[in-house]
Amino acid sequence: MIRRILALPAGRFATAFLVFIAFLAVAGPVLAPYDPLLGTSDILAGPSAAHWLGTDYLGRDVLSRILAGAPISVFGAVQVAVIALFAGAVPGILSVYLGRVFEWLTLRFVDTLIALPFLVFAVAVTALLGNGIPQAMLTVGILVSPLFYRVSRAATLSVARSQYVEAAILSGARTGWVVRTHVWSKVLPPIAIATANTLGIGFVIVSSLTFLGIGIQPPAPSWGGVLASDLGYLTQRPYAPIFTTVLIMLSVWAFNLLADVIRDVAGESGRTLLTERGAARDAARRRRTDTAASEDALVGRSSS
Amino acid sequence: MAESSTAIRINGLQVSYGTGRHRTRIIHEASFDVGVGESVGIIGETGSGKSTIARAVVGLVPAQAGTVRIGDEEVSAFGARQWRDFRRRGAVQYVFQDPLRALDADLTIGDSLAEPLRLQRRLSKEQIRDRIDFRLEQVRLPQDLLVRFPGELSGGQRQRVLLARALATEPRVLILDEPVSALDAANRVSVLEILNDLRAAGTSLVFISHDLGSVAGVTDRIVVLYRGEVVEVGRTADIVNDPQHPYTRLLVGSAPSLHTGAIDREERARLRRVLDAG
Amino acid sequence: MTIEIEGIEIEGIEIARAAEATAAEAESILRLEDVRIAHRHTGEELVRGVSFDLRPGRVVGIVGESGSGKTLTCRAILGILPRLFHISGGRVELFGRDIAGLSARDWEQLRGVSITAVFQDPGSYLNPSLRVGPQIAEALRVRGGLRRREAKRRTIELLDDVRLRDPELIYRSYPHELSGGMLQRVLIASAISLEPRILIADEVTTALDVTVQAEILDLLTDLTQQHDLALIVVSHDLAVIAQTCDDVLVLRQGEVVEQGEAKSILFAPQHEYTRLLIDEHNTYGLDRFREPAGVHHG
Repeated sequence: MIRRILALPAGRFATAFLVFIAFLAVAGPVLAPYDPLLGTSDILAGPSAAHWLGTDYLGRDVLSRILAGAPISVFGAVQVAVIALFAGAVPGILSVYLGRVFEWLTLRFVDTLIALPFLVFAVAVTALLGNGIPQAMLTVGILVSPLFYRVSRAATLSVARSQYVEAAILSGARTGWVVRTHVWSKVLPPIAIATANTLGIGFVIVSSLTFLGIGIQPPAPSWGGVLASDLGYLTQRPYAPIFTTVLIMLSVWAFNLLADVIRDVAGESGRTLLTERGAARDAARRRRTDTAASEDALVGRSSS
Repeated sequence: MAESSTAIRINGLQVSYGTGRHRTRIIHEASFDVGVGESVGIIGETGSGKSTIARAVVGLVPAQAGTVRIGDEEVSAFGARQWRDFRRRGAVQYVFQDPLRALDADLTIGDSLAEPLRLQRRLSKEQIRDRIDFRLEQVRLPQDLLVRFPGELSGGQRQRVLLARALATEPRVLILDEPVSALDAANRVSVLEILNDLRAAGTSLVFISHDLGSVAGVTDRIVVLYRGEVVEVGRTADIVNDPQHPYTRLLVGSAPSLHTGAIDREERARLRRVLDAG
Repeated sequence: MTIEIEGIEIEGIEIARAAEATAAEAESILRLEDVRIAHRHTGEELVRGVSFDLRPGRVVGIVGESGSGKTLTCRAILGILPRLFHISGGRVELFGRDIAGLSARDWEQLRGVSITAVFQDPGSYLNPSLRVGPQIAEALRVRGGLRRREAKRRTIELLDDVRLRDPELIYRSYPHELSGGMLQRVLIASAISLEPRILIADEVTTALDVTVQAEILDLLTDLTQQHDLALIVVSHDLAVIAQTCDDVLVLRQGEVVEQGEAKSILFAPQHEYTRLLIDEHNTYGLDRFREPAGVHHG
């Protein structure tokens, strides 16, 4: 299970950091020592005992702003992933089993999404639903969903057409059984990887948008916003952007690292280690008898 | 299912793929029987449609015309639900050709073997376990394989697992697609012996193969398939010693033998010309 | 590049021909003496003591299953053992020369020109995105020194020699358009294109229908006679070997359990493994039904 991911040092680091970020997102605003919106006369101060990260150009405590701004980034990224999952992965798996019409409809819909220019779509959504981070994330989520659709559909198709599924059908299995017993374990890894990557992308997009001041009404705090204001006053506090930048960077890196770890842990061709039996299977694979290995070698299948 | 004198009866079977102008005929007007307790080999070259016939019998492929009866039931008229109920009874089982692909690599051998029994929803865990143990013994595999995964087994062991899985539901009819082609000599002999035992116990066997020589010794009768048509049917000994149809002659004559030479090249070329013309 | 044979400097393809000429004076063109092949690091021996002699016009058969060492032996003869393995004992003499002394350059000259091989899965030995004819013709141009037009003509001739029905059409076809049997013939054509002295056929008919198999085996036998080839046939099917070969080696788990003339092995097998193979045919194969005196045609 998650144990396998945690077994790898990269997995431990990625998970730990992401747990930390999640914690910040939930508890950040509460933990903030000062009101993030409260300006003081102590502007552009350096780090001190009172203000660990100093203050910004309006005298607001930077640490508080970062803590309070965590939810926007994190939940924004999560929103993208969740929307992409539901708009993409679920139809993807279902498209194999719900008949020709459904399959055709979803395929064409996904094709359309891919063909849409991002900006046009974003503008349309904004016009319809208003300006804001959630709306922007909705847009991104829908535009990323084709990836999930394709990935989960491909994984499901390859399983659905396999001989062992045919064997199950010949024993009287219904679709539900086939999905539970055979499809799920093989579809999970590609989806997990896509999700981790999407979380990273979502994070970057939120940070970028808030940096540009889009979707966020000042003076609401956000990581990108803090970074933007930091850059505006570089001469006074040249070290200022480092913290925020590193934070954003590490978060994105952690997501991508997690994706890589899942990929490694799942083994070739997407077989999963995210389930108990998958893990046992991998351990078994490592235990493979010498006969099998040397048989391969004899027929010249070893690297050469 | 009342007792019937034939295990499988195929009549005028037609199977095609595609529609309209692109329709290709795979099986044309195929008719033959498999008696209860009989062992029949369906022999044909690649593309002759032998696998398609077998798949049509078990309902994996729809037939455009003709009927298939298994025992008393006309399975060619079955809908999805009837097929499901029929299959769950486990009276007819199919053993695939490629054991590597016919076993889910993420399931233990035990889980794979139990699947058909679990689908029946009749037996308790202990009963399922007992059945599996019995079948493992029958195919001469050790118990400790149950917790292993297909990737850890040799090709011969995997093939026997497939066999054990098919036998778990105590089928009356067993259809085997190239059961020994991927095996080495020791495993082949082992599997053929097991199949002979089944024959003696009254199970009807249907073999699909391109090589008459690999299954001749376990069959009572042979059905020769050429380009989707049944060209000859007969007792194995007659087919081997006195083949009538040009393709059968070519088939029998091409098989390498230890003792006698195959028919010579001119004769083969002549038979091919006859086949291409007719 | 040049090498010296008996004090004379020779170039390119002539090196190979010279080697052949030297060896032709000797009787055997390939000789294995107690060859052992082992894993380089673990020292585990996978082939333990294979010896045989190959002469022009003769067919030697190796019967063995996967794991028997037959493929390793073939690769050793061709100088293409996987990196993890090496010849740990005995000697292989190719045209009278110990292959241990051959450099990579020497091998390049020999392979394709003097000794060639055809393996089990023909499709994987052809470039799927190129037509089949030019792939053969290229070898003729590069190794055989033929001009483009001449190479094409010769290729079509070869495709005809291997009894492909429409050589011109085959020349223009892509690999995926051809059946397994056709592809195998194409590869045989390619293998004999530079007129080698030795051809190794490793399980070439295993993936083919039995009727096609008969044709290919026949083709190989004919080529042996027509071109005075020396042929090594490797198969897991004893009957295939029995039908095509003069001398037989039965290989099991790296050891030669039986060796001798095909006829004597079949009629008087010594080892139990050989007997197992023969019994299997007699019990489960066509031979169970056939009268031994001859084959009846209707």
